[in-house]
Amino acid sequence: MNITKSISAIEISGRFDAHEATSFRETIEQELTTSSNIRLSLAEVEFVDSTALAELVRAMKKCREQGGDLILSEVSGPVAVILELTKLDAAFTIE
Amino acid sequence: MTASSLSDYHQWASTPLSTKPAYSVVIPAYNEAWRVVPTIGAVATYMSSLGQPWELIIADDGSTDETAALVADLDLVNLHLLTGTPNQGKGHAVRRGMLAARGDVVLFADADQSTPIEQFEDLLGELNQGSDVVVGSRAADGSEVSNKSAARHLMSQGLKFLVTTGFQIPVSDTQCGFKLFTREAARTLFSHQVIDDFSFDLEVLFLAKKFGLQISEVPVTWIDAPGSKVDAAKVAAKFLTDLVTIRFNDIRGRYNQENHDVTKADLIEDRSIKASLDGNACNDDENSSHREPVDDGPTSYDSTVGADRTSTTKHEVKL
Repeated sequence: MNITKSISAIEISGRFDAHEATSFRETIEQELTTSSNIRLSLAEVEFVDSTALAELVRAMKKCREQGGDLILSEVSGPVAVILELTKLDAAFTIE
Repeated sequence: MTASSLSDYHQWASTPLSTKPAYSVVIPAYNEAWRVVPTIGAVATYMSSLGQPWELIIADDGSTDETAALVADLDLVNLHLLTGTPNQGKGHAVRRGMLAARGDVVLFADADQSTPIEQFEDLLGELNQGSDVVVGSRAADGSEVSNKSAARHLMSQGLKFLVTTGFQIPVSDTQCGFKLFTREAARTLFSHQVIDDFSFDLEVLFLAKKFGLQISEVPVTWIDAPGSKVDAAKVAAKFLTDLVTIRFNDIRGRYNQENHDVTKADLIEDRSIKASLDGNACNDDENSSHREPVDDGPTSYDSTVGADRTSTTKHEVKL
């Protein structure tokens, strides 16, 4: 028996703030139609504001509701610190 | 961003400075609970990566939301929280922060990261060329502006016309919340500056020109942060009033240098340092009139405090 687990990969870059929230949400919802596991690369993200953090939490909950997860990967320094300061680093799966 | 940059941040976050800071970053905040923590994270990560001792000052304007509590709970040892009476105005908050700053150069930056902190080095380069004040500009050649509303754009153009024709201030954008000062310039300008609301930027630049300081302008990238509290119509009306106020103050001699010693700076600095050493926030608005200088004695935090505090006993101080 072969078990395969499909993981979608998304990469975002630049400034992730409220201006980008709608676009991000639409992308996540589109990905969720094919996979409940999403790997989100944040290597090139310079800043996330509170709206963006809320979108990340929302995306994580959606993935987990469907039995998967949102995995944050290659988290940039500023984003890592912001997650740490908001204590959201404990809530996400980060690799 | 490297692992060493994160290490630099963690070092800054947990180890009190053993020397006077090279850089101070002052961020005014009024009801910024929704966005102040990400801004602190971005600023702290970047500034720590520069490899110089630095301090962060959050000048809370007596927020009625959780801003002050959130900042205090971060427990970052080189972050100093100044608290105050509710909503005295942005100019009031910035003044408290700038006068408390101990860095060789002092950056004032808005709480919304609309001018990303990574542009600090662009302004620093200009300061190192001999300028006393470097203004981040959204109007200079090379600037990039995103998501700015038509109303704000129109207001900016109007203000630019008034400032350049009425005050001969040699910058195209007086209001961008990203300005760098030498410590001496910051102390001189903010100990004279009296306007408490958003027109303080113009007043500070007017004073810089009046005092013969070197002002430069650097183009910046600016992104209009959602949730901006700027009401273009109200701002324009108030700005016009303040233009007259600044002229009137000048004519009355309120900005004459002999009328101002560094009393406010010394008092604020003393109390901020004491609060920092005690691990507490500093309330700058308690007993705000008829203050006598506080003589806590020199501290290891800043050995220059005692020297600067001379001849301050005869002045009434209103913060």
